[in-house]
This record gives sequence, structure tokens and C-alpha cells, in this order.
Amino acid sequence: MVHSLQVWLVAAIERHSPVADVMRTAWAWPLAESLHFLGLCLLVGAIGSFDLRLLGVARSVPIAAVHRLIPWGLLGFAINIGSGLLFVLTEPDQYIYNPSFHLKVLFLGIAGVNASLFYVTSFRQVFGAAPSLDAPRRAKLIALISLSAWIAVIVCGRMLTFYRPGPCVGDRGVLLTCNPD
Amino acid sequence: MSIDPFLVWLESSALSEWVVGSESMLAFPGILALHAIGMAFAAGLAAVLDLRILGVAAAVPLTAFRRFLPVLWAGFWLNAASGVLLLVGYPTKALTNPVFYLKLALIGVAMTLLVRMVRLIEGGDVSAPAVARSLRRLAIASLVCWGGAITAGRLLAYTYTRLRA
Repeated sequence: MVHSLQVWLVAAIERHSPVADVMRTAWAWPLAESLHFLGLCLLVGAIGSFDLRLLGVARSVPIAAVHRLIPWGLLGFAINIGSGLLFVLTEPDQYIYNPSFHLKVLFLGIAGVNASLFYVTSFRQVFGAAPSLDAPRRAKLIALISLSAWIAVIVCGRMLTFYRPGPCVGDRGVLLTCNPD
Repeated sequence: MSIDPFLVWLESSALSEWVVGSESMLAFPGILALHAIGMAFAAGLAAVLDLRILGVAAAVPLTAFRRFLPVLWAGFWLNAASGVLLLVGYPTKALTNPVFYLKLALIGVAMTLLVRMVRLIEGGDVSAPAVARSLRRLAIASLVCWGGAITAGRLLAYTYTRLRA
């Protein structure tokens, strides 16, 4: 079931990709990669600073003040979703069958769920009428998971090129990690 | 005088052969991953300081950024070390490419700007108009240098003319 979804997705993108022609011009791919790296720095700089503050770095600064950096982290994230889609929409098989990409998406999901848990569980203590300078213990755990998840996203992204899917032979797992064509 | 004998010697060293030739994921792939992580923290935290100087998150006192600096420097030294390993792996590829020297120069300038910004911040009155103006100029220059260094670094994979001596 999942296999046929992957195959369908690759075929659909290959048929209708709106960006593949542009991305195959001389400097488009390298420039999109550069943008992806710039977005990564903005994301980790802003979100990482906030995580570090929750963990106790610069403890004298109100957490809400450091939280003003978060929109810049989201800007970095938006830049990277945009530039990342350019790659996937140009060479879909290189990502959709790549085990390192599957892990990258998993860690992105963990980072996302983890970030929403922060707002659900710790909003009042951190942003309420009498905010504490020391983050609650669960917020610290969330900050630690956030830093780890983003580092894992970077590592999986950097590993994509070393796990390029080859042609399928023999056993296949839950997700296709080889090119069936 | 050619540097080729030096490059040939370096490429035949045990360390170079390990970086390039080892099957281990800790060799070339692992070093590349560390280089990306160090970049994220060094350039990312430097960019956050620049943005703060330019008015973002204005309620965070500039002096508080001193607390984040050890993480920035850790990222920098991680990248100095992983960068040296990558250079030992592919010395010809880097040293025969002008873009590599541009990248190093931009990082050198960016780190110098960082040290000057930190000195101004620790020197006292950051609200004095002359100091604030200098800080803003340094912050803009820093953003430009980091953006350039990262772009130059990424383009190294596309602009080299010789892979090995």
C-alpha cells in the first residue's frame, strides 16, 4: 500500500513537475541549495537560541523576550520548505525512495509535534501574568528534544547523498528504499 | 613554484586516505554532517546577534548575548576542525579553487566583526548614538559575510576544476 503510494507520487511529480525545467538550468540547483543552507542557519539560530534559553542559558532574560526570535525561525523553516520542495519536485525518486529522507521527515515531524507540545503544556508558566524565569522541567525536556531533533534533521539531510536509492533487488521493507523502475 | 608535490604528499597521507576512502559513515559523511551542524550554530547564532542589534527581540538586553557566545564558538571550532579534515581529504579540490579562499576570507571577516561587536557591547554604553550606529553597521556587514561564506561554501561542490593532484 505504502509502496504503491510512493510509486504513484514519484510518477505524478515526474509527469507534472512545475519546477523541474527551471531547476535543471545551470545554476538553479546550487543556488537553491545555498538558500536551503541559509534557511537552516536562520532556523537553528532562532529556534536554538530559544531552546538554549529554556534550558537555562541567559537565565536573567525573560523567556517571552527571547520568544520574539521565533518568527525568524519560522521564516527560516518556510525558506527551507520552499527550497526543499524544489529538490523533491525535480528529482522525486531521489527523495521518496531515500531512507535518509524518510528519517529526515520523521525528525521534522518530531520537531513539529514537540514544538506544539511546548505551547500546549507550558504557555501559562512562560507567558502568563507571573512568568517564571526558570522554565518548567517539561519545557526543558521539550527544548532538549527540539535541539536534538533539528540536529538529526541536519544530519539526515546531509546523508541523503550517501543513501541514494539503487534499483530494487530482493526484500522490500515497509517503505520502498530502492527504485522499482 | 608549484604546490603539486605538497598536494600529492598530503593526498597520500594516512589521514587523507581515511577521510576519502574509508567505508565508515564516520569518515567523510560524518565529517560533512559535523560541518553542517557547526555551521548552523556558528552562523545561526551570529545572525541572531546581528538581528538583535538591528532591532529584533529588542527586549533582550544585548549584554545577555555573552551567554550564547560559548555555543557560537563551539560551532566555530567544530567547523575549523571538521574543515581541516575535509581539506586534508581533498586538498587539491579546495586549494586550486578561488572560491575556497573567498569563503575563508569571508569567515575571517565575519569572526573579526563578531569580536568587534562583542567588544563594543561589553565596553558599556550601547545606547550612545555613535556606538549604536557602529553596531548596526557591523551587524549588516556580518549578515552579508555569513551569507556570502555559506553560499561560497555550498558552491565549492560546483566550482572546482581539479579534484586530485
